[in-house]
Amino acid sequence: MSQRTERRGGIHVDQSDLLCKKGCGYYGNAAWQGLCSKCWREEYQRVRQKQIQDDWALAEKLQREEEAAYASSHGPQTQPPSQSTPPHPQPGHASLGPFSKFEEKKTNEKTRKVTTVKKFFSPSSRSAPKKETQEGKTPSPSVSRRASFDTDQVSKDFVDFLKNLQKPGREIHKQCRAFIGNMSSKKDLSADELSECVQDFYQNLADRLMGHFKCSSESVEQVMDQVEKYIMTRLYKSVFCPETTDDEKKDLATQNRIRALHWVTIEMLCVSFDEEIPEVSENVVKAITDVIEMDSKRVPRDKLSCITRCSKHIFSAIRITKKEPASADDFLPALIYIVLKANPPRLQSNIQYITRFCNPSRLMTGEDGYYFTNLCCAAAFIEKLDAQSLNLSPEEFERYMSGQASPRCSGSEEDWSSPAPAPTNPVLAQLNQNLEVLSGLSGRQEALMEAAHSLQADLLSWPESVQHEVHDILKKYPLEVLPRSAPAIDDNNDVDNDNLPPPLTPQVV
Amino acid sequence: MAAGGTGGKTYSFKVVLLGEGCVGKTSLVLRYCENKFNDKHITTLQASFLTKKLNITGKRVNLAIWDTAGQERFHALGPIYYRDSNGAVLVYDITDEDSFQKVKNWVKELRKMLGNDICLCIVGNKIDLDKDRHVSVEDAESYAESVGAKHYHTSAKLNKGIEELFLDLCKRMMETAQAEERLKGNGASQSASSRRGVQIVDDEPQATPAGGCCSSG
Repeated sequence: MSQRTERRGGIHVDQSDLLCKKGCGYYGNAAWQGLCSKCWREEYQRVRQKQIQDDWALAEKLQREEEAAYASSHGPQTQPPSQSTPPHPQPGHASLGPFSKFEEKKTNEKTRKVTTVKKFFSPSSRSAPKKETQEGKTPSPSVSRRASFDTDQVSKDFVDFLKNLQKPGREIHKQCRAFIGNMSSKKDLSADELSECVQDFYQNLADRLMGHFKCSSESVEQVMDQVEKYIMTRLYKSVFCPETTDDEKKDLATQNRIRALHWVTIEMLCVSFDEEIPEVSENVVKAITDVIEMDSKRVPRDKLSCITRCSKHIFSAIRITKKEPASADDFLPALIYIVLKANPPRLQSNIQYITRFCNPSRLMTGEDGYYFTNLCCAAAFIEKLDAQSLNLSPEEFERYMSGQASPRCSGSEEDWSSPAPAPTNPVLAQLNQNLEVLSGLSGRQEALMEAAHSLQADLLSWPESVQHEVHDILKKYPLEVLPRSAPAIDDNNDVDNDNLPPPLTPQVV
Repeated sequence: MAAGGTGGKTYSFKVVLLGEGCVGKTSLVLRYCENKFNDKHITTLQASFLTKKLNITGKRVNLAIWDTAGQERFHALGPIYYRDSNGAVLVYDITDEDSFQKVKNWVKELRKMLGNDICLCIVGNKIDLDKDRHVSVEDAESYAESVGAKHYHTSAKLNKGIEELFLDLCKRMMETAQAEERLKGNGASQSASSRRGVQIVDDEPQATPAGGCCSSG
């Protein structure tokens, strides 16, 4: 390029300016920062090598910090500093030893359905599970291994994600680590205060990323998602349905309420599902599965996406039935119906958890937020549901609630006698099918057990019968070992010999 | 709530759609977002949550429109829906006196719960059926003025007045957001305002250490 200007404009360029800056004697090129091709390649390799080494160093540093944080956050957990209740069960409970151990394992299961079910049957011993959750902090090795495997995986993903961010990544990691350390000392705060802390942290971090590191709002969103995932996976145990709140009691109340409302039909709620269409009932089943699955997730955002998936299935079902896009007028009753049919475990706790700890930007204006709000509405509606909201007379409502009547079979008696009235409800259909399969299986199991028993009996009696036979045979043919008397063979000394006629003697005639 | 209002110049607004069952809320919003009416070819799976991106005087606006269930039995759930919303579109059917009465109830409730932070639009829909009108124009407009709301006449069928309604609403919400920003300035109070329904007391002792630990850590 410079050569051309030289010719055109007559500007003198010194020969030495065109040479490689390394001074190797070859010509350089502006595109290679004034180096010749050979020197440029060397330089480029060197810089790249350095970059790679730097990246490695950063990654390793993050990893080390991560491990240190993990160790420190687990330190205080294994020994609760100031717990009013002793970590070991009181002497009186000692007899419950193996049972509570079993319960403890169950409590630590990711899906804690068992606890809720168990609580159903023993509402009087409500304090017991709490103690167990505390004991759960010194869990059996297998449980802790699994839990830490999950957390480790999340931590690893988090570090991997932050590696791409270089400097902000290090800062984010440092802050998250410090925050989690801080939170472990704040276990006694009320749920709202905990929420406050987490929300403040989100806000501060987002502000700092925006202000200090000049990140775009999209990338901040991305980072915040990862931060939420990382933090909440770690804090989940201590902040989900904490003992300081009555979330647990509300869960129980809601669960009982939904059970008591089992008789509510699709017509009473005016849901536009035509469950005769197989695609619709398929979507209904999927929606029910999704809303139940919510409880098994740890990160608020994952819980939200369960709700969103559930909602999408509901929309599909409505769309297929009505052939037009679903409005809120269709959606909310349908969602209520799904919640009633699903009776999702720990519904109130999950709602509270999401409200308290979800990234606010997602919850406020996003699509997920809309569906979540509808779920809150559904829960509120179910709680306050009365005769009027189902267009029933108060008497009817009372009768259904008390179980004296059931809307489904109040019509005709012959429905009862007919062998199998086709169930309109897909859940019932599924249930029936499952029951059939189960009864078939149990039949087979019984047959198998019977066969096994008879085989066992056979096996037991076999040696006896063999013994009997042997005895019988022995009795019949007693084996008497007679003394081997010589006379039996030797007839020379026979006494009767005398009576015998004399042996014939040859006569010579 | 104007998330990133100062930095990225993008406003995010939440608008709730309130009104009785058959006043045409869904048609209105489908007309606005998809420009379709009673169309067999509507592609969207649902019409209960729709978004629209706008560019108003060089500022980007993300509008999220939340449809609400209009049946009477769900009336009590209103507060859960309109919490944290920047605007409300209250729709009535000009041929249905009752639906206008419902709008009045909503307005009362919204003003009571959210004060003047929320921009209200009262919308008389179905003006294509003007011959069956049961709510007079004067009544509706004077009522709207008395409660500090704007009144619009629309027809989702004929696609009349809808674009204007939402554009106007967005401008008003932007003004409110800007006024709020100016009032509060930058800093902690602004960040607090962008939280959802959490009550924040200024002298909350726990809030300070939480903030301190993060910045120091």
